[in-house]
Amino acid sequence: MSRGPAPRILVGLALACAGLTAGCGARTATVAVTRPSAVTASLSTSLTTAQGTWAIAVMGGSAASHNNFWQLFVRRANTGRWSLVTPEGVADNGGLVAAGGNGSLVVGFRPSQELAYSPLATSTDTGLNWTPGLLDAALADTPGAIAVGPLGRTLALLQDGTIEAAPTADDAAAGQWVPLATFKALAASAPGRSCGLKGMTAVSFGPDQNPIAAGSCVRPGVAGVFTDAGGTWRSAGLTLPGNGPGMGTVRVLGLTAIPGGNAALLAVGTSLLAAWWDGTRWTVSAPVTADGVRALGFGPGGSAWLLLDSERAEIIAGAAGSTWRALPPVPAGTRVLAPPGTGTLAPGTGGSYDALAVAGSRLTVWRLAGGAWGKVQQISVPLQYGSSG
Amino acid sequence: MPGMNSGLSPGDPTLVAAFRSALLHQGAIALLMLAFLGLLWATARTWRPAASAGTSGVTAGEPMEARARWLLRTGFGVLWIFDGILQAQPKMAGGLATQVMEPIAASSPGWVQHLVNWGGTAWSYHPIQAGAASVWIQVGIGTWLIVAVRGPWSRLAGAASVIWGLIVWVFGESFGGIFAPGLSWLTGAPGAVLIYVVAGALIALPGGAWRTPRPGRLLLAGLGVFFAAMAVLQAWPGRGFWPGRAGGKPGTLSRMVTEMAGTPQPHFLSSVLSGFALFATRYSFAVNLVVVIALAAMGAAFLSGRPRLVRYAMWSGIVFCLADWVLVQDFGFLGGLGTDPNSMIPLIVLFSAGYLALTPAAQEAEAPARAAEAKRPGVRSAAAAGALAVILLGAAPMAAAAVNRTADPILALAISGDSTSLNLPAPGFSLTDQNGRTVSLAGLRGKVVLMTFLDPVCTSDCPIIAQEFKQTGQMLGAQAKNVELVAVVANPTYRSTAFTRAFDRQEGLTTVPDWLYLTGSLSQLGAVWRHYGVAVENLPAGAMAAHNDLAVVIDPAGRIRQELSCDPGPATVSTRSSFSVLLGQYARQALRQS
Repeated sequence: MSRGPAPRILVGLALACAGLTAGCGARTATVAVTRPSAVTASLSTSLTTAQGTWAIAVMGGSAASHNNFWQLFVRRANTGRWSLVTPEGVADNGGLVAAGGNGSLVVGFRPSQELAYSPLATSTDTGLNWTPGLLDAALADTPGAIAVGPLGRTLALLQDGTIEAAPTADDAAAGQWVPLATFKALAASAPGRSCGLKGMTAVSFGPDQNPIAAGSCVRPGVAGVFTDAGGTWRSAGLTLPGNGPGMGTVRVLGLTAIPGGNAALLAVGTSLLAAWWDGTRWTVSAPVTADGVRALGFGPGGSAWLLLDSERAEIIAGAAGSTWRALPPVPAGTRVLAPPGTGTLAPGTGGSYDALAVAGSRLTVWRLAGGAWGKVQQISVPLQYGSSG
Repeated sequence: MPGMNSGLSPGDPTLVAAFRSALLHQGAIALLMLAFLGLLWATARTWRPAASAGTSGVTAGEPMEARARWLLRTGFGVLWIFDGILQAQPKMAGGLATQVMEPIAASSPGWVQHLVNWGGTAWSYHPIQAGAASVWIQVGIGTWLIVAVRGPWSRLAGAASVIWGLIVWVFGESFGGIFAPGLSWLTGAPGAVLIYVVAGALIALPGGAWRTPRPGRLLLAGLGVFFAAMAVLQAWPGRGFWPGRAGGKPGTLSRMVTEMAGTPQPHFLSSVLSGFALFATRYSFAVNLVVVIALAAMGAAFLSGRPRLVRYAMWSGIVFCLADWVLVQDFGFLGGLGTDPNSMIPLIVLFSAGYLALTPAAQEAEAPARAAEAKRPGVRSAAAAGALAVILLGAAPMAAAAVNRTADPILALAISGDSTSLNLPAPGFSLTDQNGRTVSLAGLRGKVVLMTFLDPVCTSDCPIIAQEFKQTGQMLGAQAKNVELVAVVANPTYRSTAFTRAFDRQEGLTTVPDWLYLTGSLSQLGAVWRHYGVAVENLPAGAMAAHNDLAVVIDPAGRIRQELSCDPGPATVSTRSSFSVLLGQYARQALRQS
């Protein structure tokens, strides 16, 4: 006796439905979680040395197609003109990091593509000539990854948070670096545990010429600034008043040596602060609020600048007790600000800032005068598009 | 899926020419084999006319082949041959992995992608062998199905169809996309080749199985379940086939049809497809309703097993499938690198065969074979053997290539062009190696020297070239002790031994025996660069030092035997391996010449 069609149809449909149920599940709703974005520092920056003011900015096209090229410009002391002085011989698509000291400027090339270590270049004549150097490891992706002491001792912060030191400039050139501290060791040390150290962001030298390292701490109100005293790392004691605005992770975005001490730029949530150290005591500025920092840097005497979103720029003088002052909206395409003066010449009240704006391969220098930005110079940079692809 | 992309253009002239040449050579061999088999058959027939009748599988008393089986055999035979011809498209060798396999697998789960990547990598390592093999295997299976009417030869052809079909279904169609979202009967689910597999399995059934309606019932019941399942999938609310637009985006059905209409195709078809895409977007609900009802009705009719209902479903199914084939599937092979006519034609053949099997003609069970067939003893067996030989012609080199873990040197030749054979004295030099020792070319006499120029702070080509040289050394095996791998610094500024050592550490070259990375003063290096025709210069504004990618092969007597570009091109795993193989071949050649 043959079975009728109806049961077969039902069985077939049932089988089909059962087999397909797994593939036809209802869509789950997605829950959007919004968190304040962490403020990070770009490699675009400027710094001042006795020889002049240096600025690093990225130019060109897409980083994805390796057509982004980082450039180093210098405004030599006693001149108002900028020159292109990017050291040759290495593709710098990974970024440039620079530090001045001991009458020289050391530039580190961050790794990119197949290159896993960081060649260096040192100039003692404001970028006219460069001597090659070697760091056989990857420099960290932060503008404070190199520091040069007055006697030529050089510090490097690596991508993995290790701090290495070259006793002299010659050692740095020959690639003879020795590890000073690993991130793991710093995080496990008493001051590291105390602040909840989560990452390293900068190295420098303190007023006693000993190494200083800075990072991010999760303990509210505690900034991760550490000093090295004969191989033992101690907290530099930087705490924010009232446990810090926003009560979140304190990130040290920038750290530099200034005569008789150090200056630091900090981020807590969306608040940005400057802090100055005289070797015994920290002074912290009032905060300025921003959703994002496009670039930052230090000027003479502990002054500092911030390039913020929406063409905002804020500056602060180095003197304790000074407050943030807004500059007029910067010109479109501004990548970096350059403070007036040099490492040995304070800007004074009449000093004016330069804004370096980038459009493709053209750099335009705008100078602040009479409360407005005026175009003072243009540099056409001979970018080699396609050379790193 | 990193392995399957050779990085070369499918239309690369070197690849296309090599593919065409391989097809012509193998085609000539196939013709010779067929001629030989023909000759063998004619000779055997002359000498042993009586015995040949027994080997044909056809005897005067044997029943006729069932109509359903005949339809499956010839239908899928023609389809396989058509697919084989499509495989012979010029861009197929270089393009199948990246333009067919990779896009299909992209939306599947990770484990499917991993599996497909394995097959795609094998293809990208040996694109010419794989491309040619696919042509001959498919043409061979198709021919075999058509010529082998009955008996073990015919059933074996069905089994071959199943095996190859499964390989294509897994690697070429990523399991027909059944593990990917958006599965729909309209676009070819569950994979056209799976239908070939089902047909092959039916052909492989014993001949006696077709004397009853049972195979037809089972086939139609299976198809009924399949159509019903496809109807449920098509109707499932969460899958987005009903609305023309949802959340500001096109619905699933309208997106599918619009995407298909957007692919390049003949002008006459373009306007029809665009019109239907517009219609499907505007009346998405109605179109999907028709599809769901039609699928459900076909499923119910096939499940019923009633011949009359099945006949109606078959004819309406043919019309429905043809409409989908034209309007949605774009004939399957138009608009890209098509490998088959997609699922509708095979499906029509399959359910039509199901209907024929359900209603066997009266004479199928008892009628003797046609006299004409009985009078051609052995011809079909000889033809089937010929078809099998054609399959082996493709499968043998493909199998050999599959077990070879190095890539075909054709990829390197496609990137850098032919090398130049030379017989010139190699200019001498004396430089410093990475360990501070002085090394001269004269001191390397007695060994083959594979030499190139590398920038130790290079971010792109040089580390890749170094890896290719390292791999060459590994491939040379025992012969490596007679070969020196030499690089000369190609950077005017970053050229100290600190940099050559850092480069060696970065590339894992410190433990490679016979690896020398040489440097020297700028004047020493300048002389070597000049003598070997390498232009090195610093470029401004953050660019890498420029130099040409050149490799030379110097024989043990100190004479340059080969000069070739070592531009790594896209630097994929297959092109790297390919260059290493090429360089290794030149090294062995230089050793033989000595």
